[in-house]
Amino acid sequence: MDQHEHHSRLFKVGGAQVSRFEDMRLITGNGKYSSDWNAPGQLHACFLRSDRAHARIVSINFDKVGQIKGVVGVYTGADAQAAGYLRPPSFLPPTGKGGMKARVPERPCLAIGKVRFVGDPVAMVIAETHLAALDACDLIDVVYEDLPAVVDPEEALKPGAPQLHDDVPGNCPVEAESGVEAPVMEAIAKAAHVTKITVDCTRVTASPMEPRAALIEYTADTDSYVVHTPSQGVNMTRKQFATYANLGEDKFRVEIQDVGGGFGQRSTVYPEYVSMMMAAKALQRPIKWVSTRTESFLTDTHGRANLITATLALDKNAQFTGLRIDWITDQGAYLSPTGPAGHIRNATSCMNGVYNIPALYGHFKVVLTNTGWVAAYRGAGRPDIAYAIERVVDAAALELNMDPADLRRRNYLALSDYPYKSATGSTIEIADLPGLSAKALALADWSGFEARKAASARKGKLRGIGMSAVIEPTGAGSYPRDEIDISVDGEGQVTVHTVAHSQGQGHETSFAMVVAEALGIATERVKIRQGDADRAPHMVGNHTGGSRSMVGAGTVCHIAANKLIDAGKSLAAEDLGVEPSQVSYGKGEFTSAHSKKKITLAQLAAKKTLAAKGEGTFISTFPNGCHIAEVEIDPETGITEIASYLSVDDCGHVVSHTIVEGQMHGAVVQGLGQVFGEHIVYDKESGQMLTGTFMDYIMPRAGKLKSIQMEEYTTLSKLGPLGIKGMGGSGCTASLPALVNAVVNALGVRHLDMPLTPSKVWKTIQQTNVKH
Amino acid sequence: MHTFSYVKAGSIKEAGDLLAANSDAKLLAGGMTLIPTLKARLAQPSHLIDIGGLPELSGIDAKDGKLTIGAATRHVEVSRSAVVKKAIPALAYLASQIGDPQVRNRGTIGGSLANNDPAADYPSAALSLNATIVTNKREIAADDYFQGLFSTALDAGEMIVKIVFPVPAKAAYEKFPHPASGYAMAGAFVSQSGKDVRVAITGAGPGVFRWKDAEAALGKKLAAASVEGLSVDAADLNEDMHGTKEYRANLAKVMTKRAVAKLAAPAAAAKSKGK
Repeated sequence: MDQHEHHSRLFKVGGAQVSRFEDMRLITGNGKYSSDWNAPGQLHACFLRSDRAHARIVSINFDKVGQIKGVVGVYTGADAQAAGYLRPPSFLPPTGKGGMKARVPERPCLAIGKVRFVGDPVAMVIAETHLAALDACDLIDVVYEDLPAVVDPEEALKPGAPQLHDDVPGNCPVEAESGVEAPVMEAIAKAAHVTKITVDCTRVTASPMEPRAALIEYTADTDSYVVHTPSQGVNMTRKQFATYANLGEDKFRVEIQDVGGGFGQRSTVYPEYVSMMMAAKALQRPIKWVSTRTESFLTDTHGRANLITATLALDKNAQFTGLRIDWITDQGAYLSPTGPAGHIRNATSCMNGVYNIPALYGHFKVVLTNTGWVAAYRGAGRPDIAYAIERVVDAAALELNMDPADLRRRNYLALSDYPYKSATGSTIEIADLPGLSAKALALADWSGFEARKAASARKGKLRGIGMSAVIEPTGAGSYPRDEIDISVDGEGQVTVHTVAHSQGQGHETSFAMVVAEALGIATERVKIRQGDADRAPHMVGNHTGGSRSMVGAGTVCHIAANKLIDAGKSLAAEDLGVEPSQVSYGKGEFTSAHSKKKITLAQLAAKKTLAAKGEGTFISTFPNGCHIAEVEIDPETGITEIASYLSVDDCGHVVSHTIVEGQMHGAVVQGLGQVFGEHIVYDKESGQMLTGTFMDYIMPRAGKLKSIQMEEYTTLSKLGPLGIKGMGGSGCTASLPALVNAVVNALGVRHLDMPLTPSKVWKTIQQTNVKH
Repeated sequence: MHTFSYVKAGSIKEAGDLLAANSDAKLLAGGMTLIPTLKARLAQPSHLIDIGGLPELSGIDAKDGKLTIGAATRHVEVSRSAVVKKAIPALAYLASQIGDPQVRNRGTIGGSLANNDPAADYPSAALSLNATIVTNKREIAADDYFQGLFSTALDAGEMIVKIVFPVPAKAAYEKFPHPASGYAMAGAFVSQSGKDVRVAITGAGPGVFRWKDAEAALGKKLAAASVEGLSVDAADLNEDMHGTKEYRANLAKVMTKRAVAKLAAPAAAAKSKGK
């Protein structure tokens, strides 16, 4: 068996299919989420929000709120100005195309002078009860002078478009480039065939089950704050609070336990939280706020919102010779911390996809519009670039009358091509798409599709097949390293501290499995503590995002456990009456062949402090895969059923198959949600959100995907000792193009933008008169 | 929510009196529309008069060719009732397709008909079967009862007590659920009683309506093919980002055809209705 065919069950402890330790707590309602935190004497915040897309604030009159019993304060942009809470952090690269200096607009925590999208917070009311705060909001009188609004990113870039920020001319904070333009233009000029396609990678929202919430307490003695709010990692949250509020990180203690869904939406410290700091300090009482679902739709960071044009040059043998990507990324009214930079960086890293494309050029325009702000969202640019590439490849195959699988096969990088230095400057470690996709095509019976299509036609259904072959970079992280603290107590209980915070990923299980494996003990003896408020400020490490936690913190669990063994050998040597080099370790016991003595982890820890700190620095790994979907469309109603879905993925060594499969299910379904329904839509005239409830925002239902056949095809990463590649987002990256390619194939059209709702599919069938 | 007074009515009479005495009072049964409206602070009633537990409003009974259902009967009870399944299985099926289990456990038939949401399921059955809406004041024929978008013949202070459905020879319901809300994008309730065929369409327009061209064609021959050449007039139908008028007109026709196909295969239809 080839090295890359080898998928060993590295992890034996507890079995690879352990159920997750956290699940009993979470599914029996014993989780502790942000709104579960309460403090004695707490007050309640409520936000008055802009009901219009773009307007000057002429006046705010809150004289009448005194009529409401229990109101203790109203805060506006004037308070934000006085506090200096004006600028959230931005990871935007400081210079763009041709040395262009990035222009990052302010985002005061409460609007100053202008509102720029429906939902922009204008005032914050603080009251003894939630209801009083709500009633008081109704009595605040804001006089606006309406301004023309622009919600379409292409319109926003045009001369004469309404300008959102005085200091961001043309609504364009930055233009950026990747790769080199001239070789790509030359390839296009010399090409035997050029395929150009524009795809709308639509704006969506994360809709986590747990709405945003915060409880913020002020400690006068130290002039500092205790914060409880959903987060993907307490270090990141602390740092963003500190930046937004111009205070030291030591002024924030972040205490959180469970987080009900992240998806990138929790990677932002929001203006509401910073506003609450003002009241907590002024009133010397804890302030609590829980978002409504309507506020969630309007003001949570949205995802995607990228309009991408891909131009692919092919030679006479259908070899790809160049790819140009022109990318407009709509960031909404303000720049979120993770929005623009992530989309540019992640799209650049694997701009060649899984193919040998010698010339690459990407041109990115970051645009501001009168809409909610945009941040990372499951993949953050990775699914978007893969979607554009895999759509342009399918369109090229259609134009050349080639089998899309064959066109891909001609252009895949071979295993021997890796590590591959791409024309955009990244080094992609390892993948084997020729082997992996061959396995997928065989399992999906790609060549037998015509018979299944004919069978569907006999039932009056349109059948289509689509594949995607994708790769993506997992997050390299913004901290220099990941640290794990590990210790053992006198009972033999192992405690592991990390600052990577699960929002559902299951670290309490998978990290425990890594440690248990290294220590040779039962997984149940390992407890994972995430983001401990006392310890986290002294630990370096990344948040959970970019599919990186198992690669980073998870691998460091292994390193830390081995350091613990080394530390234990030194400590045990004395008890065993030998030199440390003569101590062996296995299955929770230190032994010496010389003295014929042994001491257990628990016995040693009862006598001496047994602890270690592991650390490691990890760059991107490159999970990859091939997904094949078949769909059946009812031409009478336009409804699409997923007839079959196969995934073959390479995420290196798998620690927990249960968790990997769960992540894959979730990611594929998150992708199909965007493909078939999810879409944040603003009215072009008024700038009002048209999809502000689940009555209009189409969430995927469990029945839409009845089963997934999941298979593995493994190449090991050598970037860490465990051979792991991250995989939290890769299913979403693969499912967008696989499903759209399948529907487009069924309809016999070149392209159809998401969401592929029944009405849109039906209309397409009417227009094309497709035969069935 | 804004503040309001809650009153649990002890009888239909008391509820009617309270309603008459307080012009800003609202009746509360299942609360499936009212409570979300209150939560969104879109309504500010002075009183909520809870009639959900009134025994006079409950009960399912079939006799003399008529099926009578109390106004406060919940969707789940209609969907599971042996009496309904025997008399009008299509009605039990319809009830099983409303919302989700939580909605079916709370929502009531009277509430649905009083609200007359243009995409609700029950209005199509009431209109197709020409049910009689019995209120605390009078009886109203379904043909006179539905008056368009959230509008009915009910007067202020009037409340539905029960609904009387004539038992048809055959009936079937088919709907295309809205991909977000699950409400009917279009639903067709087709019934045959003697020579009469009545087709009521919900979801597609601003209120439930009868598709009379289809009724005439199906009256001649009760087969899906009979409506093939017909089309629902799209002009007055709803249009939004989820579907054009033409799409809704198409769905109304397709659902009608599928309901008729179900009628034509009574044995199979009965089975599928039983779930």
